[in-house]
Amino acid sequence: MTTRRELLARLRAAVGDRNVAWRPEDLLLYEYDGTIEKKLPYAVAFPDGADETAAVVRACNELGVPVTPRGAGTGLSGGAVPARRGVVIATTRMRRILEIDPVNRLAVVEPGLPNIQLSEAAAVHGLFYAPDPSSQKACTIGGNVAENAGGPHCLSLGVTTNHVLGIEVVTAAGEITWLGGRVPDAHGYDLRGAFIGSEGTLGIVTKVVVRLVPVPASVVTLLAVFDTVEQASETVSAIISAGLIPAAMEMMDRTTLQAAEAGLQCGYPPDAGAVLLVELDGLAEMVDSQAASVRGECLERGATDVRTARDAAERELLWKGRKGAIGSLGRIAPNYYILDGVVPRSRLVDVMATVADVSARYDLPIANVFHAGDGNLHPCVMFDEREPGATERVLSAGAEIMRACVEAGGSLSGEHGIGFEKQKFMPWLYNEADLENMARLRPVFGNEGAFNPCKLLPGGTGCGEMAHQEAALRAAGPDAYV
Amino acid sequence: MASDTPWPLPLDAPAADDLSRCVHCGLCLNSCPTFSVTGLEAESPRGRIYLARAVDEGRLEMTPAVQAHWDLCLQCRACEAVCPSGVAYGRIMEHVRAQVAAAPKKDRLQRRLRSFALRNVVARPRVLAAMVAPARWYAGSPLRGLVRRTRLLRSFGRLAVMEAQLPRRPGKPVRPGDTLAAPLGAAARVTLFTGCVMSELFGGVHRATARVLARSHVAAVATPGQVCCGALHAHDGDLAFARDLARKNIDALEGGDIIVVNSAGCGAAMKEYGQLLAHDPDYAARAAAFAARVRDFSEYVVTLPGRPAGQLDARVAYQDACHLAHAQRIREQPRALLREVQGCTPVATAGADMCCGAAGIYSLVEPGMSAELRARKAAQFREHAPDVVVTANPGCQMQYEAAVREAGLDARVMHLAELLDEAQRNARRR
Repeated sequence: MTTRRELLARLRAAVGDRNVAWRPEDLLLYEYDGTIEKKLPYAVAFPDGADETAAVVRACNELGVPVTPRGAGTGLSGGAVPARRGVVIATTRMRRILEIDPVNRLAVVEPGLPNIQLSEAAAVHGLFYAPDPSSQKACTIGGNVAENAGGPHCLSLGVTTNHVLGIEVVTAAGEITWLGGRVPDAHGYDLRGAFIGSEGTLGIVTKVVVRLVPVPASVVTLLAVFDTVEQASETVSAIISAGLIPAAMEMMDRTTLQAAEAGLQCGYPPDAGAVLLVELDGLAEMVDSQAASVRGECLERGATDVRTARDAAERELLWKGRKGAIGSLGRIAPNYYILDGVVPRSRLVDVMATVADVSARYDLPIANVFHAGDGNLHPCVMFDEREPGATERVLSAGAEIMRACVEAGGSLSGEHGIGFEKQKFMPWLYNEADLENMARLRPVFGNEGAFNPCKLLPGGTGCGEMAHQEAALRAAGPDAYV
Repeated sequence: MASDTPWPLPLDAPAADDLSRCVHCGLCLNSCPTFSVTGLEAESPRGRIYLARAVDEGRLEMTPAVQAHWDLCLQCRACEAVCPSGVAYGRIMEHVRAQVAAAPKKDRLQRRLRSFALRNVVARPRVLAAMVAPARWYAGSPLRGLVRRTRLLRSFGRLAVMEAQLPRRPGKPVRPGDTLAAPLGAAARVTLFTGCVMSELFGGVHRATARVLARSHVAAVATPGQVCCGALHAHDGDLAFARDLARKNIDALEGGDIIVVNSAGCGAAMKEYGQLLAHDPDYAARAAAFAARVRDFSEYVVTLPGRPAGQLDARVAYQDACHLAHAQRIREQPRALLREVQGCTPVATAGADMCCGAAGIYSLVEPGMSAELRARKAAQFREHAPDVVVTANPGCQMQYEAAVREAGLDARVMHLAELLDEAQRNARRR
């Protein structure tokens, strides 16, 4: 058994006194991420570089203390919440851009770098980093790798795994190794691919080599206004069937539109039933003709108005509303539970009807904002966690919606990850043999059950329900067991 | 029940509804200067709100360590401008500061001195004038060169900061009741808000403001009876005193005139008088009406028809004042006015809208973080070497004086009104 005093001494030896957080008020701020899950860690370590990270991991392994990696804490599946307490390893001290190589169109960055800062730095070379999660101003590249993050513009360009060439990782065993490299065609097993999207259950990323792509020559952004979500959903399928692949195709329903407009004044029509935000990019001639086709598809399916952003400022405004849409729901209710189901585009209309039905039956408002082109839904169930029983009601409403997605031939998560929140639903998608096979990968990287426990795969010891609201912060003394 | 509250000053406790509006999405993190320097959740807007919420819910005690995280906040409100949920961070932090001010503290003497100085020096025109007079004399005297050459002040931390921040040529004071440049046959009349430090150290900005307005046929009057706006007191948690000052200004400036403010901090505070006095039955409605008449200088000038042309050959780095860009959401108007000036080349520096670390009295209270933020500005100035640094708030202007010197540059630091005034004069001469 290890005492907290021993644990802190080991962590301090690994990263220095100043880079270990242990006071109750500091720990409190690492109990959350962007979700409603909460659990207090015993300590937070802020290593700089692979060596320090490895030292922390090894110390925790020797003491038998669980480890949970954390980027900016913007995740939406409870991935950075320390489900079995233990130590949180935060990457915030590793946020440098080590190299931008415009000729080979790649960059080497540290994991704590905020996503958008990479595109900002690459802009002088006419390049950008494609995956653009809505939280890109805050979320980190390391977190993106762990979750295999997507974003509105991943419709045509692909998600994180398509843009990461190699990673330096500290494995769950505490070893430092490279997976992949600077060139795309590494031989041998694609462990890079296995690691990306492993949600921090195999190790921690300490360096990332990413691909940069040229900023498109021409961009057209359209906002199509519809009376109903059904019309908008049908239009999505029609656009894809017509052979068009927009750079992004996003849908927002009325509740979301109104919240975003109230919060961000982005010029959305608040009376619309739904809008589609469609972006096309590429060579000017091609983009213009595609835009005309998209406009035609929209009008044919009942769009009451199709607006085109006149300049970069207006385009930015339209996107600002979309990217801030989820956060702006705080205007409607103090808490939201955001889902991330994926459905085949052909089933969008049915599943949206189920969502509306669940909302009515549970008497919970649900706002819908989603990556329509990918069939990736983000229903946001709104509630007030201070109301007794509300959280439980929300969770079962969420489970019903996820079930509907799976039954429609889709999946539990498009980009937020399974995390803590959805691990128990994995058996809906996979049989026992599938899950066992996946679990076998963990010991290969040295994870014997204490490295980011209770995430991604169901089961494991001590993975009960997380306390959504701990009754009180217990001021455990330095000699309490951890 | 009042006795159940964990807050020492229950009447001004942060509202639970304000606190619960934060859904900890984290989108504010990188807009926050102290988070971007430290990378620590405790020095982020999300963290500070979560701490307040934990205290409010009885999960956490308001220990000195907790208070220190709130103290390090600059109250620049950059987080508020990017928050999709519309969390009223500025309001939360003023109420949290009121609790910190009321809490028993170890550094009681320092806090008392600060509160005494804010109440009895800053808010008392005659005392302030007497205190500032020597500094104003010193600013333009040969002694200053000597002090700087011999680096006499280098071991007097805060005094050295104040010395470096002192404007190079503070104009003669402009006080309430003073006469300002007036156009012949004015088309409109406005009140010029004179303020405290603005009045004593930045009389030149007030005169430039009046001249720019006069050239567009608007007469600016330094209406007598007006006092300090109370922003510094509110940010320090002295809400009671801030309310007293607000009431005095409302009494003094009753009427229909637009109130033009050339200090971003004062303008932001005065636009929020309605909120500050919302629970005062005698003043709530008058405060809201007053707030609706307040305009920032740039916000007002862009609406004036027939603005005269301006001419100034210079590379100009405009730096947003936080309480202009974030609190008042005025970003475009000053830039538009600068674009109208012939020969004026805008220089885009990174982080132009991030706090410079002046933040009212912050540079004296938290010198370490303030210096770090100033150094970031200095590095940008060194890289882009502007001829002029332009902003719209006295505290920022002072911090940029120090930053420009730190960068080893000779660039001028000007208020937007001063630049427009000079540019309009240049254009006339041609």
